[in-house]
Amino acid sequence: MTEHINTDSEQLQQRLEKVWGNLPGWGTLAAVNHTSIGMRFMVTGMVFFLIGGLLAMLVRTQLALPEQAILGAGAYNQAFTMHGTVMMFLFAIPVLEGLAMYLVPKMIGARDLVFPRISALGYYCYLFGGLIIVSSLLIGIAPDAGWFMYTPLNDARFSPGRGPDFWLLGVTFVEISAISAGVELVVSILRSRTNGMSLGKMPIFCWYILAMALMIVFGFPPLVLASILLELERAAGWVFFAVEGGGDPLLWQHLFWMFGHPEVYILFLPAAGIVSTLIPVFAGRPLVGYNWIVLAIILTGFISFGLWVHHMFTVGIPALAQAFFSVASMLVAVPTAIQVFAWLATLWGGRVQYSLPMLWIFGFLVVFVCGGLTGVMLALVPFNWQVHDTHFVVAHMHYVLVGGMLFPLIAGFYYWLPHFSGRMPSLTLGRWVFWLIFGGFNLTFLLMHLTGLRGMPRRIYTYESGLGWDWLNLLSSLGSFVMALGVAMLLVDFVLHFRFGRRAPANPWRADTLEWATTMPASSYNFASLPDVHSRHPLWDNPQLPRSIAAGEHGLADIDHIRRETYGTDAVTGQVREIFHLPSNSWLPLQGAVMIALLCISLLLQIYPLALFATIGAVFVLLRWSWHNGAHPRANPLDEKEPVDPPLHSRTCNGPGLWGMVVTLMANGTLYASLLFGWLYLWTIAPQWSAPEDSPLALYPLLGSGLMLSAAVLVYRTGTRRLRAGNASQLQGRLWLATAIGAGHFGLLLSVLLNAPLSPRSLAHDAVLMVMLIYLSAHSGLAVLLTAMQAVRVRIGYVGARLPYEPLVLQPFWTYTLGIFWLGFAVFVLLPRTFGAFAAGGL
Amino acid sequence: MFRPCHPLHLVLGPMIWAGWFVAIYASLSVVCSLIPPATSQGAITWINGMLLVLTVLVALLLVILGWRCWRDASANTRVTCNRPFISKVSAGVYLLTAFSTLMIGVPVVLLPPCI
Repeated sequence: MTEHINTDSEQLQQRLEKVWGNLPGWGTLAAVNHTSIGMRFMVTGMVFFLIGGLLAMLVRTQLALPEQAILGAGAYNQAFTMHGTVMMFLFAIPVLEGLAMYLVPKMIGARDLVFPRISALGYYCYLFGGLIIVSSLLIGIAPDAGWFMYTPLNDARFSPGRGPDFWLLGVTFVEISAISAGVELVVSILRSRTNGMSLGKMPIFCWYILAMALMIVFGFPPLVLASILLELERAAGWVFFAVEGGGDPLLWQHLFWMFGHPEVYILFLPAAGIVSTLIPVFAGRPLVGYNWIVLAIILTGFISFGLWVHHMFTVGIPALAQAFFSVASMLVAVPTAIQVFAWLATLWGGRVQYSLPMLWIFGFLVVFVCGGLTGVMLALVPFNWQVHDTHFVVAHMHYVLVGGMLFPLIAGFYYWLPHFSGRMPSLTLGRWVFWLIFGGFNLTFLLMHLTGLRGMPRRIYTYESGLGWDWLNLLSSLGSFVMALGVAMLLVDFVLHFRFGRRAPANPWRADTLEWATTMPASSYNFASLPDVHSRHPLWDNPQLPRSIAAGEHGLADIDHIRRETYGTDAVTGQVREIFHLPSNSWLPLQGAVMIALLCISLLLQIYPLALFATIGAVFVLLRWSWHNGAHPRANPLDEKEPVDPPLHSRTCNGPGLWGMVVTLMANGTLYASLLFGWLYLWTIAPQWSAPEDSPLALYPLLGSGLMLSAAVLVYRTGTRRLRAGNASQLQGRLWLATAIGAGHFGLLLSVLLNAPLSPRSLAHDAVLMVMLIYLSAHSGLAVLLTAMQAVRVRIGYVGARLPYEPLVLQPFWTYTLGIFWLGFAVFVLLPRTFGAFAAGGL
Repeated sequence: MFRPCHPLHLVLGPMIWAGWFVAIYASLSVVCSLIPPATSQGAITWINGMLLVLTVLVALLLVILGWRCWRDASANTRVTCNRPFISKVSAGVYLLTAFSTLMIGVPVVLLPPCI
């Protein structure tokens, strides 16, 4: 009997593997499933970590003794700039996102993320963007003015080489990847949990990742905008940051740190999620204060956006404003402390197993608490002034980032290693690795606090002997080499364990979460059947769950339809609402990323016809991608045998695409809000802001264009309202009508743009207006194009009363386009007229 | 949407806080740039007064919203669905954001606005 069950189970798994597996050979490049993509993110991130580490070794070698000439000033500047850039943009975020992409579906009982092709596109954007940035090192023209790219040091006058362009274009490219992963993780966590997994029963790690992903969605767009503006200033001479044209270099600092400070917490939160996951497992009891930790996560996510000015305390901001940010910087310690006390209470109340991952957790607790305390010191304005731009800040930052992110990450790697390989790590080697890295790290950076307090500025390539910094620098460099030895052993340990590691038993750490109910190493489909969940600890409740899942005793065990399926559930209650059908292996993500990379390279080389070709190519690939959706024969054509209760998501009005669209528009809206901020900031604060006497924009054509846009949205919404009610008659006609009116609006807007006497090379006022008009036109054009495509799909039969999904996904985009148009009209056109900016040349 | 157990309450408090924070920083910056009060007035200026009133009103609003959620959580402790979880966490979030608002607002009564 048992043998019979095993055979059935094996047959089921073989059939699932056939549907969910990657293509063989080179076909693996078309893989979209989250296990492969997550692993690729992590492995690539570790390669970049080694590159960043190597640069750090160069920096420390140079500083080991006074007046050394191992690196010249230029090479040293490139080394520290690229060390920061690589570690922050190419290692820390991608590797954490990779881990989240790998783990989240497994933890929430899903078979994949909800937008698998976007996962793959994100990976390739990251890979190509990273290669572009790092290639600048190989050809000796890397950016050399610090990883936060301050202006005017990085404008075309003071940095005439191509280094900053590599940074600006490459980082923007990589950020497409980060934002796409952010959108995907938000929607997947909210909408694809297994049946019964309500918000209150969600694994705590997923709360952390939800917060991190939302912070990426809101935190990265200001930097994307800033990078676009600075690249426009460098390549086309448009004025945004140059004082003489009415710009302001401080605008860059504001936009950068609006991203930069939340970034620290974007790195810390997933790492804290690892800590909150591991501590209960090794304490053998549930996490103390789950609700308090959720509360702390939410507060950290928000408050971290209110701290950015503490990086700018020395730029001349009024003391009262500095005090706001100083207090906010101290307040963020409150939610962090809530978490630390909850961890300590869990350890206190449990029977702790001092396994290898726990060594790293203890290392984290010690180092991160110290880093947090120096953070509170830096929040105090007078102290901040004293140590600004010294090695004290460098030491603090490394205590927070290495202690707060790298240590938990390594703990997580050791913990989930059996998941990746099916084998256990070596305890002996692992302990050596910990003590070498922990000891080396503290020797390097604990002393560096003192170096900074003794006045050594950061970013100097050498120093005179006798200033009291010699022995500190020597010991710091020594420590860094000990740490490097530890990292080398870590790699050896990881590599060797794949060959020599002891075979892992099922659920080797006796964990409570669903990722341990999969096979080890994990299969491409995660679960042969999807279980119901009744508590936060499904594996503690029912240790037999892995067996019954593998035997196909739970939901969605049927695979005869050869669709990739997972549950679509209610965001709050976790009750099943739909079945999400997911795309299979696809070359489109790779093709799209290649086109975007070509665009990036052609802009770097300033070959603009090639850039135009690449843009058209990218748009073509992405439209083709959206064409292969819903009821398209390559996706899921209508079938009389398809499930109706619950239905496939493309047959409903509320699938993941709608949620993805809304979350993407949140990121987009943040970018637009950053542009509005830039306009208002320059208008009110820039020392030499000036505006033409008359508005350069034609008021009535613009007004007419807006009215046509309003009419197009009205027509579109009427069509979708009827469609939602099950009435698809006249849908095609309405979509064509919306397209036609929208095209009229677009044409009028374009004529305003082309006929406006704007001088973006001499006036920041005109440059910002130009960017705003281009932004509005791009949205309008895209809305028209996508609506025309929907009309064609209605004609072919891919959209209709039984397939209402796609026009409903597009609707928020129209509404957004309308919103930004009228908001832009109010802020860029009406407000200056009302306050007489044009007559007075400033407010 | 305004029921105390609606999931929006999990983030509404911090959203109000964020709006208030941006408002006080932006209004202070604009006032200091365009019509700065005399430095001799110290912290007793119209802009400090305005910021203080706004701070107190926002903190009060957050406390009231927090109280509503707390009352809902207390009244529904036996419900096994999400309701107590959302209400309880929301109440905590509201009360801590109210605390945060008051703490950040304290310098308004101590420091002159534009020095």
